Amino acid sequence: MDEPPCREEPPACEEEEDMSLSNVVGLSLCDSAPLLWRVQDLKTVRFQGLVGALLGSLPRTPRQNGRLGRPLLLLPEEERLLSEHQAAAALPASNQDGVGEEICQWVEKYREEQQRSFAEQSVLALEDRKSALLQAMTSSHTGSHAGLGTSAKALQGRLEALDRSFSFPRSAMAVQLSTVRAGLTYCPKDRAFLQADWPIRAQYNPHCDIRYQVFRDLSGRGFYLTSAGKFGGDFLVYPGDPLRFHAHFIAVCLSLDEAVSLLDLLSVARLGSNVKKTVLLCSPGPDGGVRYTSLQWSGMV
Amino acid sequence: MADQNKTDTEGTFFSEILSPSELFAARSRSHKIPVRGQKDFFPNDSDEQRQRLEQSLNEHWSLISEERVERLGNLVRATWIPSDQTVELQSPAGKFWQTMGFSADGKQYLLPEEALYLMECGNLQVFYKDLPLSIQDGYERFLSSNTVRLQQYQVFGHLKRLGYVVHRFDPSSEPSPYVRQLNLPQSRDRAGRQLKRKRSASPTPTCSHSEAQEESTTERMEEDKGNHDGEENKKPPESHLTTSPETAQVQTATTSTTDEGGGRTWWTTDVLRDLGKGSDHSPTSGSSRWDFSSISFPDLGSRGQLSSRLASPDPSLLPGALAVGVCDVASWRQRINLREVRLSSKEQRREEDKRRRRWDVNKDKEVQRCRNWAEYQELLARRQGRRKGRPAHLWNREVTPLHDPRQLIPTGELLDKISVIKSTNLLEGASRLKGSDEWKICFNVYQPDSVADFKKSNPGKPYSRMCVCSFNDPVPDLRAIKLLASQSGDVPVVIAVVDHGDISFYTFKDFQLPKDVYP
Repeated sequence: MDEPPCREEPPACEEEEDMSLSNVVGLSLCDSAPLLWRVQDLKTVRFQGLVGALLGSLPRTPRQNGRLGRPLLLLPEEERLLSEHQAAAALPASNQDGVGEEICQWVEKYREEQQRSFAEQSVLALEDRKSALLQAMTSSHTGSHAGLGTSAKALQGRLEALDRSFSFPRSAMAVQLSTVRAGLTYCPKDRAFLQADWPIRAQYNPHCDIRYQVFRDLSGRGFYLTSAGKFGGDFLVYPGDPLRFHAHFIAVCLSLDEAVSLLDLLSVARLGSNVKKTVLLCSPGPDGGVRYTSLQWSGMV
Repeated sequence: MADQNKTDTEGTFFSEILSPSELFAARSRSHKIPVRGQKDFFPNDSDEQRQRLEQSLNEHWSLISEERVERLGNLVRATWIPSDQTVELQSPAGKFWQTMGFSADGKQYLLPEEALYLMECGNLQVFYKDLPLSIQDGYERFLSSNTVRLQQYQVFGHLKRLGYVVHRFDPSSEPSPYVRQLNLPQSRDRAGRQLKRKRSASPTPTCSHSEAQEESTTERMEEDKGNHDGEENKKPPESHLTTSPETAQVQTATTSTTDEGGGRTWWTTDVLRDLGKGSDHSPTSGSSRWDFSSISFPDLGSRGQLSSRLASPDPSLLPGALAVGVCDVASWRQRINLREVRLSSKEQRREEDKRRRRWDVNKDKEVQRCRNWAEYQELLARRQGRRKGRPAHLWNREVTPLHDPRQLIPTGELLDKISVIKSTNLLEGASRLKGSDEWKICFNVYQPDSVADFKKSNPGKPYSRMCVCSFNDPVPDLRAIKLLASQSGDVPVVIAVVDHGDISFYTFKDFQLPKDVYP
């Protein structure tokens, strides 16, 4: 099993400072759910073995559910792991809530950029058209050597005509619908404000605590975990990146002293065997470790 | 598009803004999604596996990092109005207008979830304070408990991406169970009004916690009244003009039903009250307050001794405040035929004969015990039964056999009759339950194939209705399920359970146990 690097290191070490800073991911809350937006942050958490769940439409082909795009929703356990490692920070708030002059400046800047983009794109469009014309003319005339001179002249004429007549309509300008809030690029200084100060949001529920301890342990062992609601468990446990591997286990988190009804136990075990996965009963022990128990049907015939 | 994948250098670390040349180049990029290969079972540290993983990851990141780039001409421009929690279109709407949005005061609006979905699809550019909102801004600004929660939006987006038409569920626009029971045509006028909302009446939030917003709406309503006073005055006659006689009729029908509905509830409670009294009520009505055996009625026709003056009746028998004095009956007696009836001997004999032969019903002791007509009928039935061999002692008490053996019915019906615990359906008794805040229907969902001729003003019956919850929430109890079912009528309620990225759909359905009886 791959042991993903930089997991267990205490993040406070002096020499790690630089490294951990670049590993700080920017979280933002949407309706109290922790979301990651920046590609770099998504890569960072994946590198640490955290999978999360993509929620948005994929820009390339938005009208399908097979593959989704940003934002990435973190499990509460993933969020807590990041904040305990001081690897999470709040993304800066929008600067569109500012007032008066500040906003005017941004608007001014935005308009300038749009204008510049339009100018550049019209140059590019003209060049594009020219090269297309050039290619069409030369390819159609390569066969006839005789008309080479005249065709060159004709080409010149066509190009000049194109220069004069070409207009790039504003509606043809390509614009970007940004995924991430643009504020940061307008103000690179904001990066300095990104402090790894993401609070550990209170989870009073004892079951949440058990889940977290199991998550931390399994994730520390290099497993990739995702939510297993539809399998009737707490986590799906993958031996490697879920992009390439199937899940092997369904983790069900229980406290050690919790009585389990036999029917519940049998139903999860039966479910697990139906989807070709092993059900793991995971209970954090008093020593800080986690006890794993699997249930197997032994066919005595 | 290899150059689009950002390198991790300092300068571009936070930049996901494309340069003009990148934008220009993106116009001709592919729209294909790379297919995912077969997954491996177990990581084995082989180079081959590592390479495949790397390739998958590269594809993944290039997909994820891709930015939306659209031609300005293909984008609909809109502005976010935070106070209304709506998005106002600034340029003509696209094809999406057929299934989304609403107009008010001659302007076109989108609900926040619709706007966000269209932003994600690359159809809409939303501005706020003259600056474009990013997708992130959209999520953070549009989704809240006042509009649509993130989980609800996940379900909304999931269904929209599958092609369904999804509208917010508005309980007030649904016909009441009573109207549904009578199968009344739904007032089209009402739906129309809902669609053409006044700007002030902000769309109903799917969540109820919106006190602050309500405050602001009332404020705005007042404001609006000031602005559109003239319009408001003009509106009613105009709407009368546009309603066809048919809809007018429908409307009167609905108003009359509401009247009847009021009457009906009054009536049923009355019945219930009667039922409640039932057992002790009937005997009191059976035995009158007046004991006629002790009240003497004067016989004016008798030729016996009768004084010409009648004493005044007992005042306790008279209605209050009515005083009756002594009554002189002599004048009355003069008007009555007091002659003795003389019968011929033949007639006398016949009378005698008749009297002897006739069995006088009134002499029957059991009949005398009957206090009213119903009891007499009962008595007759009982006697009939005895004659036909039904063991009377089983039937003359409160508890009677479930089936009368003289009645011939098919086996299936008989089984049904003798089943002591009846099966019930979801809707039974649901109308009597009080509403709860815990479970609410969020969306009406219409099937994708209806999109072509879908009309927002007359969407018809939804394919299903959606409730949204998460795996952390409790399972809805029978009461909640009954409530949802009664709210939804004959449209199935689907519960969308959101588990982070995954959405599973569940339905509670009535199940009729099969009966293996064929008559």
